[in-house]
Amino acid sequence: MTDSEWIRIASATELKEAGGLLGRSIRGVPLAVYEVGGACFVTLDRCTHAQARLSEGYLEGFLIECPLHQGLFDIRTGEATGPPCTEPVRTFAVRREGEDLLVSLKSLQEAQEEE
Amino acid sequence: MSTIAKRWPAAGVTEIPYWVYTDKDVYESELDRIWYADHWLYAGLEAEVPQVGSYRTTTLGERQVIVVRSAQDQISVLENRCRHRGVQICQARSGKLDGITCPYHQWSYALDGALQGVPFRRGIKGKGGMSRDFSPSDYGLLRLKVEVVNGVIWASFSDRTPPFRQYLGERLWSSYERIVSGRRLRVVGYNRQFIPANWKLVIENIRDPYHGALLHVFLPTFGLFRPDQASEMRMDETGRHGSLMSLPARDPGAAGHGEDITRDIAVDASLQLADKRLIEAVKELKGDETLGSCCVFPSVILLQQINALQVRHIIPKGPGGCELIWTHFGFEEDDEEMKQRRVRHGNLFGPAGLVSVDDSEVLAMAQRGFATAEENGAAIVKMGTGGRENTNEGHMATESAIRGLYQYYREVMGL
Repeated sequence: MTDSEWIRIASATELKEAGGLLGRSIRGVPLAVYEVGGACFVTLDRCTHAQARLSEGYLEGFLIECPLHQGLFDIRTGEATGPPCTEPVRTFAVRREGEDLLVSLKSLQEAQEEE
Repeated sequence: MSTIAKRWPAAGVTEIPYWVYTDKDVYESELDRIWYADHWLYAGLEAEVPQVGSYRTTTLGERQVIVVRSAQDQISVLENRCRHRGVQICQARSGKLDGITCPYHQWSYALDGALQGVPFRRGIKGKGGMSRDFSPSDYGLLRLKVEVVNGVIWASFSDRTPPFRQYLGERLWSSYERIVSGRRLRVVGYNRQFIPANWKLVIENIRDPYHGALLHVFLPTFGLFRPDQASEMRMDETGRHGSLMSLPARDPGAAGHGEDITRDIAVDASLQLADKRLIEAVKELKGDETLGSCCVFPSVILLQQINALQVRHIIPKGPGGCELIWTHFGFEEDDEEMKQRRVRHGNLFGPAGLVSVDDSEVLAMAQRGFATAEENGAAIVKMGTGGRENTNEGHMATESAIRGLYQYYREVMGL
């Protein structure tokens, strides 16, 4: 495959209907999909602290708050910005084509290796 | 605070009514007025929590706490109880943590006790959870006041407790500093024992120079301690703290006893140690004292005898019992020979110690004696003269330090 292969993960509409925060498993990789002010972001749907699902958390601005212990990550960079989280969460490059939201297949495969 | 319907004997502190050792209401009042009030309690040694996240659990009074190094230069002492539903969180005696998490509902606290994580605080898919005005900063683990002084961790349940050195007082500071001078400490080992005796008997015992050569036959037999050797029983101004220091009358470990007033006391002069290394000391601390103690009321005795150094931590367990935890320590710079010497000298101490076993046994015998005493029965404390004003009497035929202790006790207890 080439770097330019992308895989569809969700539609913009269903993301909007989910309030801008959605959890989805693609090829065995749990993904959290976010929408903030029209822009989309994707991280692994697993908190680096205690492995809770970030897609069940609370999104405010660009910060996702883990539902379990309220640790914080910046969804743009994956950086852990609030305790008890210290390790960054993996991010994925995302594109929009019409209604479709796509992540790069290569980045998905890299994540798959770690599952 | 409740008033106790008990009256101290008219004679004052030359008599100690047995009910101070046996009455349940007095004991409960001691917890409120002493252990949980403006007093410093021994919480451990810095050397026991070397890395960030290292912790030990211990008991102060009757309350369990977590002593943890919460940051490079910060020790936190936190009550071991979740603010949610009261669960005692840490069940291990020691370990290393990244954070403190209660198993019941996963409430998560930072190492300094701040409440960080409340699962489903925002509810699940918008339903339930805590109200918006729930403030985690109101529900951190209870934090005790902490002061680390020369490697010893002190904690207090009260915010009003004065700084440690002021609490100890200048008169006793040199006895404290002599044992923990700021050199880096190293734990040699622990003993733990339960003594079926009131906690105050342990404190009285270390402030009782009178019994030294009479109960502890080991000491005069092998020349370690004699009633006529130079000694100093010192108290702080309040009478609550005490230090007992003793200089050798002669080279300890020397054969025979010569002319010695203990000769008339049944000491078998024919007994000789098979291995004199058991008591042969190397001078390492300030001064020539072979015995130096510092009893910091109410919870701890720091003691040096020959090259054994130890902390005796007192944990009251009702009026009729207490736990005594011995932390034997040395210095990081100890060479192999000194390490061995400390272990050897440590045989004098602890629950089976060649010297200390006598104390544990006799205190238990005392508590059994009190148990069936008549209502107005009392111990008499009439050796020597005076009380807390009699600092540094220089001889051992005195009980002034016990009278001094109870002068303070009566004040703090309202008795």
